[in-house]
Amino acid sequence: MRFLLISLFCFALTSCASYSKKNDFVSKSENEIQIRNPYFAYSNKDYVYKANLTFYKKKFSGIIIVKKIADHNHRVVYTTEMGNKIFDFSFIGDDFTINHIIPEIDKKIILNTFQKDFYTLIKEYALSEHTFTKQDLHIKKSQLWNENHYYFFKNQQLLKIVRESGGKEKVVYDFSGTSKHTSKNILITHKNIKFNIKLKAL
Amino acid sequence: MRNLFLFLLITTTCLNAQTKMSSQEASALRALVKKQANITKTISSDFIQYKHLDFLDNDITSKGKLAFKSPNTVKWEYTAPFKYTVLFKEETLFINNEGEKSNVDIGSSKVFKQLNTLITSSIKGDMFADDIFDISYYKKDANSEVHFMPTDKQFSEFMKRFEIIFNSKGDVLEVKMVEPTDDYTRIIFSNRIVNKNIPDAVFAH
Repeated sequence: MRFLLISLFCFALTSCASYSKKNDFVSKSENEIQIRNPYFAYSNKDYVYKANLTFYKKKFSGIIIVKKIADHNHRVVYTTEMGNKIFDFSFIGDDFTINHIIPEIDKKIILNTFQKDFYTLIKEYALSEHTFTKQDLHIKKSQLWNENHYYFFKNQQLLKIVRESGGKEKVVYDFSGTSKHTSKNILITHKNIKFNIKLKAL
Repeated sequence: MRNLFLFLLITTTCLNAQTKMSSQEASALRALVKKQANITKTISSDFIQYKHLDFLDNDITSKGKLAFKSPNTVKWEYTAPFKYTVLFKEETLFINNEGEKSNVDIGSSKVFKQLNTLITSSIKGDMFADDIFDISYYKKDANSEVHFMPTDKQFSEFMKRFEIIFNSKGDVLEVKMVEPTDDYTRIIFSNRIVNKNIPDAVFAH
């Protein structure tokens, strides 16, 4: 019985272990530092991507356009290839405004998902309270939407953002084909639902 | 005096750029376009599409080829900067997205049916349906420009106005779809070839 309790206790400990522990991150510092995502940070640039969205077996394509209007102010628009607007969102500070949405996707659960996914994607500055390392990666932990987000940097280049809950990855943002300020390819993968957004710069 | 002169100059320039047609001129244009549309069996054309969003520095430009076969088979093929084809054929919408093929049954969708009718009509320019649109006619240099404002409230919520520019022969040079926010999609046609046989393979999926 005592053995069973200890086993259960150990199991509980490991299953509740933090994401950083589970992934063998080495704690480096607990000072507050600023994280910068540079990929949608320039107001003189139009960010235009071919988008492929997969929701379970359904596939949607189109164009996703991101524009930094001013500091802490981004516009995100999704159109079909033929130019019809699917949605048009404004992110101003922490405020979210729907400028346009087609009725078919005007549902709270879909909107929440898009809102969170794009908020994280376009957010330029976040505050990190804990820094880790793993091999040649620098990992910075931040809170967005009261959820843990881990920003992975290699040679100061942002490669990945992970939204985590209960030690498990919920959403992963992969950046590839990166140069200093741009990411040619972006993949947003949801781990708890079969939904992902694939973006390729045009 | 100088201000008056400037005012007159600007007004005249504007008037030259776009003046309203008389009802006789409008009727003549309708008749010409309808006649052209009726004898049009196929169209093949290149196009350039500009998506204008007011907050962008530059319009989003894409280009491709259009193929039309009477009565209502239409293929839009984007070739740059991405490869994407949409084929309206019978009651189905066939999509080829960078090599990945899919299709949508539009038989049951009123919106898609309307869209297909609109696309087919706009390619030929024959959208003169007074029950669906408030129509205004303008002369623009040697060409004609017609504005089609949807009368249906639901329709006008996503499309404020279609603008079609015709040359003197009644061929469509340009289609502009203006959204309620004044953002728009502008399509300019070039190398338009009418009634030349288009192989069936072009419309295969």
